[in-house]
Amino acid sequence: MSWLERLRRFKGNPVHGKEFRERFRLRRTVWIMTIYLTVIGAVMLGFMYLELMDQSVFVPGEYRDFFIIFSGLQLVMIGFLAPGLSAGAISGERERQTLSILLTTQLSPLSIIGSKLISSLAFIGFLVWMSLPLYSFVFLFGGISPQEVATVFLFFVINIFFFGSLGLFCSTWMKRTGVSTVTAYAVTFLIVAGTGILIYFWAHFAAQLDWDLDHMLSFQLFVSLNPVYAFLTIFEDQLRNETMLKIDPWLIYACFYTAVSLLLIFGSAYLLNPLRRSRRKNDIIKN
Amino acid sequence: MIRTQQLTKHYGKTKALEDLNLHIEKGQVFGFIGPNGAGKSTTMMILSCLLLPTSGTAYVGGYNVLTHPEEVRQLVGYMPDFFGVYDNLKTTEYLDFYAGAYFIPKSKRPGLIADLLELVNLSNKKDAYVDSLSRGMKQRLGLARCLIHNPEVLILDEPASGLDPRARIELREILKELKRMKKTIMISSHILPELAEICDQIGVIEKGRMLACGSVEEMALRVKGIHVLLVRVLKERERAARILEEHPQVKQVDDQRDHLRVMFTGSKADQAALLKYLLAEEVPVVDFSADKENLEDVFLAITERMGS
Ligand SMILES: Nc1ncnc2c1ncn2[C@@H]1O[C@H](COP(=O)(O)OP(=O)(O)O)[C@@H](O)[C@H]1O
Ligand SMILES: [Mg+2]
Repeated sequence: MSWLERLRRFKGNPVHGKEFRERFRLRRTVWIMTIYLTVIGAVMLGFMYLELMDQSVFVPGEYRDFFIIFSGLQLVMIGFLAPGLSAGAISGERERQTLSILLTTQLSPLSIIGSKLISSLAFIGFLVWMSLPLYSFVFLFGGISPQEVATVFLFFVINIFFFGSLGLFCSTWMKRTGVSTVTAYAVTFLIVAGTGILIYFWAHFAAQLDWDLDHMLSFQLFVSLNPVYAFLTIFEDQLRNETMLKIDPWLIYACFYTAVSLLLIFGSAYLLNPLRRSRRKNDIIKN
Repeated sequence: MIRTQQLTKHYGKTKALEDLNLHIEKGQVFGFIGPNGAGKSTTMMILSCLLLPTSGTAYVGGYNVLTHPEEVRQLVGYMPDFFGVYDNLKTTEYLDFYAGAYFIPKSKRPGLIADLLELVNLSNKKDAYVDSLSRGMKQRLGLARCLIHNPEVLILDEPASGLDPRARIELREILKELKRMKKTIMISSHILPELAEICDQIGVIEKGRMLACGSVEEMALRVKGIHVLLVRVLKERERAARILEEHPQVKQVDDQRDHLRVMFTGSKADQAALLKYLLAEEVPVVDFSADKENLEDVFLAITERMGS
């Protein structure tokens, strides 16, 4: 089958269409959207209110901080929602006993995985999309460059993609949605807090031994893999200049986690394929 | 249409399937019979490209299931023994989803789905939600789902299990219709009478091995001359069983707790002689009857004779 044919077939794949319909028929979805919109609306109104009350003083830095805090909150939301939304994608089909039928159709494991990822993540993308007016608003008042806004959005996309792939991989690997969800969140926690704690100890250790962390490549690379740090460096130009790395830490983060996401996706497709050759000896086909 | 060669599947130490050789001609209905755990589902899953055999090969329509799964999937409609449906979908949406999964053009779907619902007698349920259907209806919807890509081969894993008698009859009528449509059908069951009527060929499997395989008539011939006798005694059942087992015309005796089931090879006169003999041995016989020779007993006889 040609590449183009594969792409055409992926577009015609019925999985995401059905999933969108199912997701938006769920009451939970409506709740999440309502709460999210209320919070965003309240924040925007508060912001406008402050703006109107405080017209005399104009402090661009304030908007900048506001922007960073708000983006940070959205990042937290992504970390909380993305693994959970995709952690039931495949195991849910397995539990409903619909997976084997799906695997007998002409849909390839990769296209099933791809569709599942798109359908579970589109919802978060949708939530982020809905917050766009707020960004334009912040942007209007200055203090933040268009480039920074674009970078933040790219950063979001990469995180959505990564945490979604993580949940999906757990879902394919583990038999049960419960186990898969717990695992996905545990790994998310390790990536955020685990690396943070390690960095903290590493830094203290280094301080006692008088190491120059700014010129230690392994440390610089490791620090870049922490989402919080990588996120903050988007806004801090001087951070980059002080260290020996000539690339932005968030770019390292982006490349690393995109690569891991792709691995997770292809890994899931591999695990999903019922005809994969298992490494166990007694499963090897002898013809 | 379907052929397997030395098909073997081991799950760790469990030997689910051992050297299975099968051959099903195009247009035939093949009944696959065996008790639970015999390896029926395992065989069917391998033929539907859902399971990797440990060794051996299987072909559907000339395609090797291991090397040409895409072609095999296009040829096969598979219905698992247990399957779920997507709640939140209506029957037409459900079928439309699978039509999409076989890349059937959107324009062709409405007509196709209407025809299929007609075939499985669900036309009046086209706007019902799938999870509101009864078990029998879900089973028929599952059958329609199998047929969505017009496969030549149908692999149906215990489609009648858990259905009430009426639903079974409806299912059987649909299967007859499919047989008229020249589909090759492989259907499994652990209950024989379900299959005897519609099958051309029957294969009996137990503990992963094919015990007997052939046309329904052939199979009946193989056990010709065996009569199943039911013997009930007031007491001393074990002694009675011992005496019966020693009799030269008795093939086998099964202790069924309240009665003994005796495989007897003699004629009617021999039966009378056997009863006389039992009475002479002072066995307190209270019931001595020839079981109506239904197919189930015949096949029980086959499996037990060959399995032991
Ligand atoms: N996934 C599995 N893991 C381990 N053993 C299995 C698995 N599936 C089936 N078996 C074993 O293989 C044998 C055949 O099972 P199956 O093909 O389902 O039988 P049937 O459909 O005839 O009832 C049984 O002994 C069963 O316990
Ligand atoms: Mg079974």
